[in-house]
Amino acid sequence: MAAFIQLFVSGLATGAIYALVAVGFMLLWQTSQTINFAQGEFVMIPAFFVLWAIRFLGIDFWPAVGIGVIVSLIILGFLFKRMIVDPMIKHGVLPMVISTIALSIFLKEMVKDFYSSQAQPFPGLIPSSDLNFFGAVISTQNIFILIIASLTVVALNFLLNGTRLGRAMQATAQNPTVARILGIPVERMILYTFLINAALVALASFLISPIYLAKFTNGDVLGLAAFIAAIVGGFNQVRGAIVGGLVLGVTENLAAAYISAQYRGAIPLILLIVVILWRPHGLMGRAEERTV
Amino acid sequence: MDTNAPILTLHDVVAGYGAMTILNGTNFDVRRATITTVIGPNGAGKSTVFKTIFGMLKPRSGSILFKGKNIAGMQPRDLLARGICYVPQGRNIFPELSVRHNLELGGIAADSSIDINARIEAAMDRFPILRQKQNAQASTLSGGQQKLVEIARGLLLDPELILIDEPSIGLSPLMVQEIFQILKDLRAKGVTILMVEQNARSALQISDDGLVLELGRTRMSESADTLLNDPRVGQLFLGGAMEPAA
Repeated sequence: MAAFIQLFVSGLATGAIYALVAVGFMLLWQTSQTINFAQGEFVMIPAFFVLWAIRFLGIDFWPAVGIGVIVSLIILGFLFKRMIVDPMIKHGVLPMVISTIALSIFLKEMVKDFYSSQAQPFPGLIPSSDLNFFGAVISTQNIFILIIASLTVVALNFLLNGTRLGRAMQATAQNPTVARILGIPVERMILYTFLINAALVALASFLISPIYLAKFTNGDVLGLAAFIAAIVGGFNQVRGAIVGGLVLGVTENLAAAYISAQYRGAIPLILLIVVILWRPHGLMGRAEERTV
Repeated sequence: MDTNAPILTLHDVVAGYGAMTILNGTNFDVRRATITTVIGPNGAGKSTVFKTIFGMLKPRSGSILFKGKNIAGMQPRDLLARGICYVPQGRNIFPELSVRHNLELGGIAADSSIDINARIEAAMDRFPILRQKQNAQASTLSGGQQKLVEIARGLLLDPELILIDEPSIGLSPLMVQEIFQILKDLRAKGVTILMVEQNARSALQISDDGLVLELGRTRMSESADTLLNDPRVGQLFLGGAMEPAA
């Protein structure tokens, strides 16, 4: 039982990170039909922005985290939209997808060539220690991740549903033409979702890198996980992405321990297939209607 | 200001999509505090006229005068501030937001001196069904109720000119009568309404003026009665002696 709780909590913590990444992934899709296949690399790279600032600017960890956030907002939010999405989206979803795949390769190779191909230690945001909880050993890192991810989701939910700005963003996602007719600055709303996504991936990066180390290949697993979490949860619901992320994190962890560690990588894919067969629009999603 | 001067004047407006020209020098006037219905065959440019007036489509040439000022090419946000609102064809609600939040977004372009919540309350007083359903997700409303949400949302900024495209489409005859009554009440308050309506005969019956648009040009600009009694118009657009199919 103690082992189960341990695995369950660490699965939840990983799942919470997947959820953050999946939520950002879905927000981009909803507001601008951008399927960002570089989302995994978007999570990989902010940790390197921080490491880069520490190494080359010679500053301390926390100021470097600040720089990491700002650089992420600029590059992964603003410039990503301006330089890749805006010019490509006119040509349709497929060219857009291919561009983001190209971007993912570019980011990965850049880190490998200009920083290091080795896994880099990344300092934890809080000191790591273990708590004993009814016989189960739970690391403070995991608790911290769960708390931060929950607070982020609550804050995001408040922004989207509790403020006029958030509702204008939702309106833009649901019907951009009508949003424009009502005078909602549609372009600015879309930019905000890109900035939110950049903030989410930066946060995810700083939460996950202390556990898995910062490595240029981290995005492979994370991008796939976010994609699967979004589909499993239901592509059109924020709460779907959260549920999808958590389900995926926990299933992966439990299956690795109780079924086979070797097949750990296959678990998300099996989960994906099962969910798609059983509920094609995801656990929480609604079927999308389309007029023909 | 001269109240007899037209509130809206289109002068030689040319507009279209890409290589396609839809409006070939459209000219017409809309008188203040009237209901004017635009009729014409499919592809005549009826909806395009609205999109062009409302800044969704930039005219290539010509002028659009609203209260004497040229508004051609202005953005929707600026036009809302000047007192124009546009209720497009079809369903235009935000399906996943509540009725109240749908209404609220009608005031997003308002300047800060306007109390949006008071306006929403007033809108719900006027349309009690919206108060009753204020917390319901908008997609759960009937088609007619959704159209009411759209109209109430459009009225939130107290427009002087309403562009309304095919308000009756997909609605029950009873609901159509209700929508038309709302338009008549608005006219009585001095609001000007420019409407495109497939249900041309009923629309002309509540209208003061009518415009016939053909191939992007104004073919006729007459009083609604004249158009209703014109045999050519009757043949072409009103289904002859028969009632048009609803």
